[in-house]
Amino acid sequence: MSTAIEIDDLSFAHTGADLPALERVSFRVSAGESVALLGPSGAGKTTLLALLDGRLQGWSGRVSVLGAPLDPDLPPPSARRSDTGFVFQEFALVERSTVLRNVLNGRLGRMSPLRALMGSSTKHDLEIARTVLADCGISDLAERRVDSLSGGQRQRVAIARCLAQEPRLILADEPVSNLDPARAGEILALLAGAAQARGATALFSSHQPDLARRFAQRIIGMRAGRIAFDVPTSELNDDATAELYREVEPIPGIGLRAVS
Amino acid sequence: MAFRGFGGFATSGLIAAAILWSFATTDVELSRLMSAGPRIADFLGRMFPPDPTVMAEIKKGSAETLRIAILGTLGAVILSVPLGILASETMVSPAVFRSIRTLLAFIRAIPLILVAMLMVGAVGLGPLPGIIAVAFHATGMLAKFYAEAIDGVSRAPIAALESAGAGPLVRLRHAIWPQMAPVIARDTIFRFELNLRESLILGIVGAGGIGFYIQTYVRSFQYDKAASVTIAVVVMVMAIEAINVALRRRFT
Ligand SMILES: Nc1ncnc2c1ncn2[C@@H]1O[C@H](COP(=O)(O)OP(=O)(O)O)[C@@H](O)[C@H]1O
Ligand SMILES: [Mg+2]
Repeated sequence: MSTAIEIDDLSFAHTGADLPALERVSFRVSAGESVALLGPSGAGKTTLLALLDGRLQGWSGRVSVLGAPLDPDLPPPSARRSDTGFVFQEFALVERSTVLRNVLNGRLGRMSPLRALMGSSTKHDLEIARTVLADCGISDLAERRVDSLSGGQRQRVAIARCLAQEPRLILADEPVSNLDPARAGEILALLAGAAQARGATALFSSHQPDLARRFAQRIIGMRAGRIAFDVPTSELNDDATAELYREVEPIPGIGLRAVS
Repeated sequence: MAFRGFGGFATSGLIAAAILWSFATTDVELSRLMSAGPRIADFLGRMFPPDPTVMAEIKKGSAETLRIAILGTLGAVILSVPLGILASETMVSPAVFRSIRTLLAFIRAIPLILVAMLMVGAVGLGPLPGIIAVAFHATGMLAKFYAEAIDGVSRAPIAALESAGAGPLVRLRHAIWPQMAPVIARDTIFRFELNLRESLILGIVGAGGIGFYIQTYVRSFQYDKAASVTIAVVVMVMAIEAINVALRRRFT
């Protein structure tokens, strides 16, 4: 089976931060796998996902996404960005635009530059938009403005936008932590199901172990920028999970360090 | 607001003192106030019936006022685009946006009629000083609104479009512009309404528009004609307001 994500000895520090956000991270994800990044707030999940999405530069190590190496100092070309879809915790939709317009925004990287600028979608683009709207159960909301929708509906729109991109890899950063528990399960099921139906690889982060368990085949535990464990979901034990969430205490001059 | 405790007592005292001071130092002759009743009635009598023969002047004057407001607003928009960017927290350094904001506050503090008088002195009578005055005065508010529209743009959808493979221009068009355009349209219409209202009186200082006729007729004691022009102004203001309420509803 081919490899969707290949990370070797990746380290990264945000500008101005005194501690690295990622420290010597290494793991592989096979094509078609569904993997959860589990870890407390500050573990480095958002940083890792944004980096895989090509939005962070200045890291060290080796990273390949969908078979092509990422440049540590340059964002990837737009053609490759379309192959990786991203679902944001805070939805990241254009609030004053309609649902359909937002979903079509997912096609912008697939259009010719002139068409993208004019926003003139082809029949094919519209067809894809209709399909993903239906897959996400929001066909009837197509003409509604996003600012009139609920949180759950908004995340459905964001997932539809991501799917409209026709991604081979779907990255999702805490896609349900802004939603109530009932919605959260529903939306994660939608995301995981859509990825599976398309044969796409899915890597999503969560700080809730039960959600990670329900929707991932494999769980990677992160703590303080490092990989704490990497196990098939069936082998995840409560001790390892508890260890991830062990209290940390600030030490003056050093920052956050685990209490031993 | 509740007037409680010493603070409330002090505030009440201050207001009372201000009123007493105003009465004591202004020559409010009660006898004149008493005899004013019949004089006001006489004055109003001379305004009625309004003289309808000034229709041509009303048309000419209001068309000129409209032109002053349109061109003044256009000037303000042209000035407000660069100044709005320079006054925005997210586009330039704090030193730049703070000084531009101070400049804009200074411009806002100068009343339009004062700017118009200065401009009449500088470029002579007619609509041109009115246009310049409106453009200058309105920029103080409009550039501030534009800066707020720029700063109100949420970054998240821009990152989302970048992630989807959209280039900088495409992001500007599809993530930034849709967030800004309705705000800018609404603010510009709002400012145009103010410009139109405020430029109705510019003619009084010789800066063009319908105000010129009010001033002319009052000075020459042709109160019936002044009454017609006044009615025209009131009708115009009400019409502007109605149109604006309808327009603004479209840009939310
Ligand atoms: N833009 C930034 N600048 C500086 N430090 C940051 C920035 N973003 C995140 N960090 C730091 O990097 C670490 C990892 O953060 P993040 O990736 O957001 O973790 P998570 O998503 O797991 O909560 C944290 O210590 C956080 O404070
Ligand atoms: Mg995060």
